[in-house]
Amino acid sequence: MADAGSSAPPVVEFHDVTVAYSGRPVLWNVDLTITEPCLFGIIGPNGAGKSTLLKSGLGLVPLVHGTARFWGRPLADVRRRVGYVPQRETVDWDFPVSVMDVVLMGTYGRLGWFRRPGSRERSLARECLDRVGLIDVADRQIGRLSGGQQQRVFLARALAQEADIYFLDEPMAGVDARSQEQIFGVLAGLRSEGRLVVVVHHDLRTAATWFDRVALIDMRLVATGPTAEVLTPDNLRRTYAGQVDLLQEIGQAVAARSRTT
Amino acid sequence: MNPVLDGWSIDGATAMHAWAIATAATVAAACALVGTLLVVRRMSLLGDALGHAVLPGIAVAVLAGGRPGSPFVFAAAVATGLLTVWLTRLVRSAGSLSDDAGTGVVFTTLFALGVVIVTAAASRVDLDPSCMLYGILELVPFDTVSIGDLEVPRGFISAAVVLGTLTTAAIATWKLQVFTAFDADAARAAGVPVAAVTGGLLAATALATVAGFEVVGAVLVVAMLVVPAAAAELLVRRLHHMVLVAVALAVVGTCLGYLAAWRWNASAAGMIAVVLGLEYVAAVVLAADDGLVARGLGRLRYAWRVLCEDRLAAVWRAEEKGTAATAPVSLVQRLAVGWLRLTGRFVGRAGGLALSSAGRREAEMVVRSHRLWEAWLGQHAQLPLDHLHPPAEWVEHHLGAAMRQRIEAEVGAAGDPHGSDIPPEA
Ligand SMILES: Nc1ncnc2c1ncn2[C@@H]1O[C@H](COP(=O)(O)OP(=O)(O)OP(=O)(O)O)[C@@H](O)[C@H]1O
Ligand SMILES: [Mg+2]
Repeated sequence: MADAGSSAPPVVEFHDVTVAYSGRPVLWNVDLTITEPCLFGIIGPNGAGKSTLLKSGLGLVPLVHGTARFWGRPLADVRRRVGYVPQRETVDWDFPVSVMDVVLMGTYGRLGWFRRPGSRERSLARECLDRVGLIDVADRQIGRLSGGQQQRVFLARALAQEADIYFLDEPMAGVDARSQEQIFGVLAGLRSEGRLVVVVHHDLRTAATWFDRVALIDMRLVATGPTAEVLTPDNLRRTYAGQVDLLQEIGQAVAARSRTT
Repeated sequence: MNPVLDGWSIDGATAMHAWAIATAATVAAACALVGTLLVVRRMSLLGDALGHAVLPGIAVAVLAGGRPGSPFVFAAAVATGLLTVWLTRLVRSAGSLSDDAGTGVVFTTLFALGVVIVTAAASRVDLDPSCMLYGILELVPFDTVSIGDLEVPRGFISAAVVLGTLTTAAIATWKLQVFTAFDADAARAAGVPVAAVTGGLLAATALATVAGFEVVGAVLVVAMLVVPAAAAELLVRRLHHMVLVAVALAVVGTCLGYLAAWRWNASAAGMIAVVLGLEYVAAVVLAADDGLVARGLGRLRYAWRVLCEDRLAAVWRAEEKGTAATAPVSLVQRLAVGWLRLTGRFVGRAGGLALSSAGRREAEMVVRSHRLWEAWLGQHAQLPLDHLHPPAEWVEHHLGAAMRQRIEAEVGAAGDPHGSDIPPEA
């Protein structure tokens, strides 16, 4: 790298990203650039496409058009350096695995097809559990945890991946104030280690205190920038009572047409 | 002439049965292995589907001149299985059906097609439709190949090869199977080749199903895939334990079922399926910590502890007041006192019962818990004095040392609202 200054590629860059589910667009032409590591919030109403945006970056949903790049490179080149914490309700918590088993999963990408987690992975997993305050329940079946503890298990699994970018989908959902503090504390720790942490979040009050930068999303990008500049009454009104009706109708029309052709 | 048949005798018959059991148990183990992953992925219906949908593949292969049990027919069946999986996905996305509806559409159609082919061609080929359903386990030992001077049933060889293949594959890729089964999105994001992992599981299911189909029939294959794994899920809490338990249940159930069928002269496949079902019922009753037995035992153990602690606390309080403790009245109370004496927490005879030092410590902790909780409730819940006793009576049996310390820190020096002393932590 010749010039590390302003010419370095942004950590994350969504360029003109449009995503559709079975022909129905739910996210329109999003341009979002995050130039350097920080705590970044993604905020918007239910169904706004926040989870979809994260998934599009992670290659979990196909893009209709547009690109997502990390340090100027496609995801395939840097996959292991991007960690993901899905929304808690996406998994079956009765699944027969222990807390430790789940955290170890964070190391599997690195281990490849056939290698098993060894003592290095185990001690790393224990360290991560300790960081989120769950070392005491390491051997418990994951269904026997509170909602807040389950969130922290997911966080610990992501930590065990030792990624440089983290995408977290509503890690604070159903989490009480004390656990929120703890989780935000861990996330702030990641930022101070020079990692980028992108968090889908609902609570505007805590968003204002914790995030360095935010993006407001409602099927399209409404605004993005430093938290204080973006979370204005005007922007919030545009996000939470915006022109979505129109976008939704167009989306449905597009879906209907793509089905008949 | 088949040398084994030449030597037909009681011993020969026993050897036949032993081969049949070994074959069925090998198939059962292979099915339980993949079945475990299917069950935790909530894909058991797919096993059902494959168990039925391979029929047309077998029928067509036999019509084309393949001999039942030959590698050619085997390959055709596995190919049909994979075709089923692919068709299921196609039907689902084309008709925007849910997963299981798509599966249901495809496998019933394919199975029906198989039945049509088999019945229409029944005169021309040696395929019995009911064999397809109930299997021909009893006949497995008669179709053998020689290995050295041993006559080994063909069915056993293919089952053993399948079991070996699946076990090796499972051991090699277990962690990826588990990650994908638990959280496919996160697995994909972490770089796990989720499609290949799932494809591998489906291919394994097709293999196990076909190996089973040939010897035990469609009905039993489905039972072997799903029932032991579902029972194991109730019994243990870790996936790698679950797979071992499922395999053990499958093998034991198969042996018992076969022996029972032999004894009562019933259909082996039917009896094995019944025994597997009974194992499931047993698992419901015995399930690890929320089975009926465990719950009942847990409740009994709790009641007994409460009884003992109440006796200890009663004697301690009487001592504190300087009166005699009320004598145990009911039979269980007397039993509890007997037990406490036996375990060295009471000393002396029924009349002058006294606490040993261990009993005293235990009693003090009960009383301490009780009074701390009364104090805490009195401060924090604004309850009148006469409302404090019942909750404390209940909570006193549940507080550990750490919890008591925390309550004490919150209550401060205020002490018990009724004015009694709170004993210090032991
Ligand atoms: N797998 C899917 N198939 C079809 N439509 C989907 C799928 N997932 C999401 N959608 C639709 O896409 C839109 C955006 O969904 P998304 O989950 O991204 O919203 P979100 O902002 O994360 O909402 P929430 O706050 O409720 O989590 C919604 O209209 C939703 O119904
Ligand atoms: Mg979401």
